Amino acid sequence: MRKLAFFIPFVLFIGLSVFLFSGLFSDPMARESSVLNKPLPAFSLPDLQQPDNLWTAEKLKGKPYLLNVWGTWCVTCNAELAYLTELREQGVMIIGLYYQQPSDAAFGEVFNLTALQQEVKLKLEQQGDPYQWNILDKDRTLIFDLGVTGAPETFLIDTKGMIRYHHIGDINPQVWQQKLAAAYQSLQE
Amino acid sequence: MIAEYGQLALTFAFCVSLALAVVPLYGSFKGNQIALELGNPLAYALFFLTAFSFWALSYAFWANDFTVVYVASNSNSLLPWYYRLTAVWGGHEGSMLLWLLVLAGWTAAVALFSRSLPLQFQGRILGVMGLIAVGFYAFVLFMSNPFMLSLPYYPVDGRDLNPLLQDFGMIIHPPMLYMGYVGFAVSFAFAIAALMGGKFDSTWARWARPWTLAAWMFLTLGIMLGSWWAYAELGWGGWWFWDPVENASFMPWLVGTALIHSLAVTEKRGTFKSWTVLLAIGAFSLSLLGAFLVRSGVLVSVHSFAADPDRGLYLLAFLLVVVGGSLLLYAIRMNSVRSQARYELFSREVLLWGNNIFLLTATLVVLLGTLFPLVHKELGLGSISIGEPFFNQLFYYLVIPFSLLLGLGPWVRWKQQQVQPLLKPMSLVAIATLILALGTMAATQSIQANLALLGLLLGAWVGSSAIFELLQRLQQFGSITQGLTKLNASHFGMTLAHIGFAVLVVGVAMTKTYSVETQVRMKAGDQVELAGYQFKLVEVYDLKGPNYSGEAAELDVSYQGDYVTHLHAEKRFYPVQRSVMTEAAVHARLSRDLYVALGESLSEDSWALSLYVKPFVRWIWLGGLLMSLGGLIALCDKRYRRRTASLDQKDKADA
Repeated sequence: MRKLAFFIPFVLFIGLSVFLFSGLFSDPMARESSVLNKPLPAFSLPDLQQPDNLWTAEKLKGKPYLLNVWGTWCVTCNAELAYLTELREQGVMIIGLYYQQPSDAAFGEVFNLTALQQEVKLKLEQQGDPYQWNILDKDRTLIFDLGVTGAPETFLIDTKGMIRYHHIGDINPQVWQQKLAAAYQSLQE
Repeated sequence: MIAEYGQLALTFAFCVSLALAVVPLYGSFKGNQIALELGNPLAYALFFLTAFSFWALSYAFWANDFTVVYVASNSNSLLPWYYRLTAVWGGHEGSMLLWLLVLAGWTAAVALFSRSLPLQFQGRILGVMGLIAVGFYAFVLFMSNPFMLSLPYYPVDGRDLNPLLQDFGMIIHPPMLYMGYVGFAVSFAFAIAALMGGKFDSTWARWARPWTLAAWMFLTLGIMLGSWWAYAELGWGGWWFWDPVENASFMPWLVGTALIHSLAVTEKRGTFKSWTVLLAIGAFSLSLLGAFLVRSGVLVSVHSFAADPDRGLYLLAFLLVVVGGSLLLYAIRMNSVRSQARYELFSREVLLWGNNIFLLTATLVVLLGTLFPLVHKELGLGSISIGEPFFNQLFYYLVIPFSLLLGLGPWVRWKQQQVQPLLKPMSLVAIATLILALGTMAATQSIQANLALLGLLLGAWVGSSAIFELLQRLQQFGSITQGLTKLNASHFGMTLAHIGFAVLVVGVAMTKTYSVETQVRMKAGDQVELAGYQFKLVEVYDLKGPNYSGEAAELDVSYQGDYVTHLHAEKRFYPVQRSVMTEAAVHARLSRDLYVALGESLSEDSWALSLYVKPFVRWIWLGGLLMSLGGLIALCDKRYRRRTASLDQKDKADA
């Protein structure tokens, strides 16, 4: 027995190496989304351009669509607008979830809806408008429930309102082809 | 042209490392004198070729030779010359070349300073260093070559050095850190050479001691500089982040510290033999693991180099061969070794055993905290992250018993200690501890039962115990002045390092408890009060540097109406890398730091500023500095420089 004890460090090390080896082939940034295969969380949020119109999870059911979290302040989001617009022209339904940054009263920032509407309108006119409409998440409640870590992030939602895919980062032709296109097509049927 | 010569020298160096890995080891097993004697010249050749290669890369940086891909990616013609030279180790390939230079340097140093060792043993050490070198030289030459050229279509200017690395701390932090990491390769080589020989008397431990101390000293300095750099450069007043890469440097340090103490037991008392060998293997294995974690992209960290799975795979294979191989050799060779020395329950052996237990538990905590997210994910349990609270909590629990033992340790004799003679000095130390801790607390803050008081008590306990013990030891030589000349340097080194630890503990506890900060919006002329200090923003103006532009803020600070200092904080924009950097303004005193970081411009005339008052934060680095200074003094001990057998005998009699 005493002799075997000296093999313990070796055995432990080999065990550790197995994990290091498998760790090499997985993306350390990748994380399993906690909302996958769950229904879209309940919410009631206004339309960005027509604030009287309230959107809820119920109202959005019926067609598969992409829910794209974005903001005019987010450089990467602006970069993906053009390709998303292309997708819209191919018939993909995309709904924007507008990520409003917190206003810091200490720094004299006040939330101004009219100014925001103008800004969004201008931006979409310039860079292309992929969105059927935009939902304004002023206090980031739905964004929090969805476990969004930053913008842009995109959720693929099926006809029953279930979240089928959660993509972190921008959508470009490569990402669409490799990760989202097939899933989106399968939901169409 | 120079870069091609560098490449050539590196290729030759690789060939030399192959010879170094084979020839002396062959000689040691076949008893071939000539092969053994070839070890030294090979080690020197390895060093000179590597040094030339390193010089060639430095020259390419100096001369802005953008035909070299590595230079083009990490330098820029506008970069000041001193940063162009330190940019040599600003990226993966160049830092690996620095690693090689340090490895070759240690190998040459072993060849130079261990000529008095038995030739066979020396040959084995050099052979093991050669085996390690082969792995690293092949890695650099075939997978991370810094001399790759982009001819004929080379860029007209470079992409610039990461602005985070354009700082004085960064100039010396990596070389010191690598000196530490690679230095443990020498302790490792000594242990493996002893395993090959199968002879485990205490001599190998004595030979390995100065090398381990030297490596430990550099590593301590390197970690301290890294912490200081983060504090000055990252702009939010933090000094340790439990980042995977920091952890990767901290683990070898913890095991190295345990090794220093365990080597002392093995040398003086001939026990802990198998344990010491395992620690020597462990310290270097953790250095290698660190290199793997940083350079493979397995973990997410601010320090990570661009991830490349091929490099990761190679390093993992290398890790498996070196660590797996040595642990296997350990398992096969070590199980026949038994220690004979006896010792009682209350003896220095037992206390040092306690030291090792706590240091290794700490290592385990850091290792688990660093790797658990990886293991968790690979087991399919999802992503988790382990942050500061986990490490802080566990380290609080560990540092209390550790410090109590540390205050007691130096007083206790080998083999057996009677309790009675210690009662008087230890009560004196305890009284001094209370006076010091409560006095400091009353002088700087109000007395409260909190983390700061705990830290002060532990620090004062360790510190006053170390000083009292030194005084008592000096008096044994007749008088203190006589003792100063007669007491050996190791003892002074030990005392200083222990005081350094005490200073560090006090610094951490005070900073953690009493730091205050605020984020404010200020206009020129505005005044903000924090912890009694009045910060007045005098002006903000535009700035133009050699490779950056930006803004600078000037502040006046006063304390209860009295002018204290003027602060100058900068925010720089580096156009080539398109990144913004904070140059925090720091006014440092032993008792506190004032720290100001300039943030965003909020409107025409107002700015976001972060203000911090951090009591005792200097003590953290002062503690680290004292520890490495202690290591340096211990290294100067005459004992390590006499090798003849008769003196070895005398040493044993002394112990």
